[in-house]
Amino acid sequence: MRARLTTLSMVGPALVLFVVMLVVPVCLSLYLSLTDWDGYSANPAFVGLKNYVNLTHSAEAIRAGWVTLLIAAVGTVLLSVFGLGFALLVNGASRLNAFFRIVLFYPHVLSALVVGFLWSAVLGTSGVVNGWLTSKGAEVLPFLSDPKWALASLIAVLVWAGFGVNVVLYLAGLQTVSKDLLEAARIDGASKRQTFFNVTLPALAPVVTVNLVLSLVTLLKTYDLVVSLTGGGPAGSTQTAAYLILWDSFHNNALGFGSAQSVVLMVITAGLALTVARLRARADRGVQA
Amino acid sequence: MARSVQRTPGRNPRRTLSLLTSVVILVGAAGCGGGFSDDKGAAGDSTGEVRMLVNITPNLTKSYWEGLVKPFEEANPGVDVKIEAPTGSGVTDTLPQLLAAGNAPDVVETLMADKVLAPQMLDLTDQAWTKDTPLVEQASLDGKVYTVGVGQQAQSLVFYNKDAFAKAGISAPPKNLDELTAAMGKLKAAGYLPLQTAGDYVTGLQLLQLSDPSIATKYPDWYQQVSSKQAKVGETLRPLLERYESWIKSGYVDKNALGLKDVGAQTNFLSGKAGMYIMGSWFVRTADDAKPKFDLGVFAAPTEAGQPSPGPQGVTMAAPYMVLKSTKQRDLSVKLVQWLVTDKTAVQSQLAQDGNFRKGYTDKLSPLGKQVQDILDQAPKQVAQGEGYGANTLPQGFNGEWNKAVQSLYTGKSAKDVATRIDSWMGSKS
Repeated sequence: MRARLTTLSMVGPALVLFVVMLVVPVCLSLYLSLTDWDGYSANPAFVGLKNYVNLTHSAEAIRAGWVTLLIAAVGTVLLSVFGLGFALLVNGASRLNAFFRIVLFYPHVLSALVVGFLWSAVLGTSGVVNGWLTSKGAEVLPFLSDPKWALASLIAVLVWAGFGVNVVLYLAGLQTVSKDLLEAARIDGASKRQTFFNVTLPALAPVVTVNLVLSLVTLLKTYDLVVSLTGGGPAGSTQTAAYLILWDSFHNNALGFGSAQSVVLMVITAGLALTVARLRARADRGVQA
Repeated sequence: MARSVQRTPGRNPRRTLSLLTSVVILVGAAGCGGGFSDDKGAAGDSTGEVRMLVNITPNLTKSYWEGLVKPFEEANPGVDVKIEAPTGSGVTDTLPQLLAAGNAPDVVETLMADKVLAPQMLDLTDQAWTKDTPLVEQASLDGKVYTVGVGQQAQSLVFYNKDAFAKAGISAPPKNLDELTAAMGKLKAAGYLPLQTAGDYVTGLQLLQLSDPSIATKYPDWYQQVSSKQAKVGETLRPLLERYESWIKSGYVDKNALGLKDVGAQTNFLSGKAGMYIMGSWFVRTADDAKPKFDLGVFAAPTEAGQPSPGPQGVTMAAPYMVLKSTKQRDLSVKLVQWLVTDKTAVQSQLAQDGNFRKGYTDKLSPLGKQVQDILDQAPKQVAQGEGYGANTLPQGFNGEWNKAVQSLYTGKSAKDVATRIDSWMGSKS
């Protein structure tokens, strides 16, 4: 009994925090998604699965879902490629490498809103780049005014702002690669390319998994950079799922519908993250075998 | 509210789970209901704290608001007006969060009562002082006053570069939309961007501002006709959408304008690159501060050919205030709001700070401000715009949806597509 009380007193505070901060909000979202709550009324009506049915008919929500998946897929790949690439470049103990590590991580320290506003000043129609182009007599490039360009710009800025974390994770992973194995590969006459693909990369497998899952989950929630860089435009073409959830909830007073979207996003995020983790685990087992 | 099924708790895990779920849902439901009250608030003391949620903008900073209410605090010893900035992206999303958390402010600025908000707000109809405040009748809902404001914002204004007009050979501001289109052609030929537009919220807003006089002339009861489905928003606005589409095709607006934010558009216009800029009267403050090198004028948005000019002017309430029903300081909150919208110094300060207008407060207007006041005085009628207010309202979210739809004209959609899209959205809201 005493042991149980001790366990409870140790686990209790964390459990209470977990329930209050995570379980209750999730349950509340689930409940609200079954109502027509507008954010103000005291008596939201129970509407069953109507919000979920409406979601399947909403062209805007479906489009935002695809945009989010595209951002997550392309962004995750780019974050991992650039993260690993730069980590390899600045791996090694030198003052110059230490300086470049700080420079690479710096964008992640900035608020996403600040990053968005900064880049809109660079890429906007009257921004730095287009100002320079027009001064040279060239045409303005539609970085933020054409739907395809705006989406590409958004992904590029997301990668720029986020890959510092991936660099740090890969750098940490690179420190764990066995020096004996690297030495053995060198003695056996393996080229740098062979050493990387056959020794370094397999050893980094767990870090790759962490990177992929973290990047994927983060990108599926993309919101603040959309607000500050594109505002969801042009013509709603860069609206992500998270952006639309907030938009529908508070601009359209449709918190019930917004909650339904957030529940679906949560399920998809969890599903994708688990799938990636399992695929990576299977791949890792294959490498070990 | 929550259709939870109550069961006797037992050792069956399913039953335990059901019970837990019910508790969570009930707790959640209670959370939703937090702060909602059906009474008329508590009268409260003659001293204490009044919390006011306000909009924060470059003009209306937190320190401005604190300075604004200081004389009220000095005149009422023991009263502390606590200015609260939005914790979300604005007052619109912060208020529901505060209400849901049971932490609602006493007074809210920026929002206007509609059918969703009104049940949470104090009915001010019996307050005699509200009768003399601007647009109070138009903003009333089912004959009840919930929102009172400091002044008016004129919406249907076209600011123009007089030097560019002279260079392009345009002798007088256009009175109808055909003349406006012709003027654009001349401005383009003279080397100017005829009409400055932008992305953000500006694209849709400008077209609404331009549409107000024509629509209100052709359909005097437009909001009622739309509400009763006698008219469709997209169909009625389609001629203006077609005109706008033709302007994009003719290069009268910048095809890359959606990559500009509102500030960038204002800078472009005030630097003399563009001939015209459609915007509300709050732009007067920005223009006066910028002191452009060209002669800047303003004219009322033109009407359709054949309609009288000037047409009705789109107006909105400037600095609207409401008292929340859940307040525990009802008397002090009402006293504060009365002071904010009737005290001459407070009103003058708010009008000047955000470029707003009110009859009887014209002596400190700039020359450009006086032109706007003349436009307001000469307008045969003042009308609501977009989502509107009072009896003239469209569903919440219309302005945002309209903005996205109008922007799609730049990305290849036709006026017909836009009209269909907006009518489809309206249909989904009925």
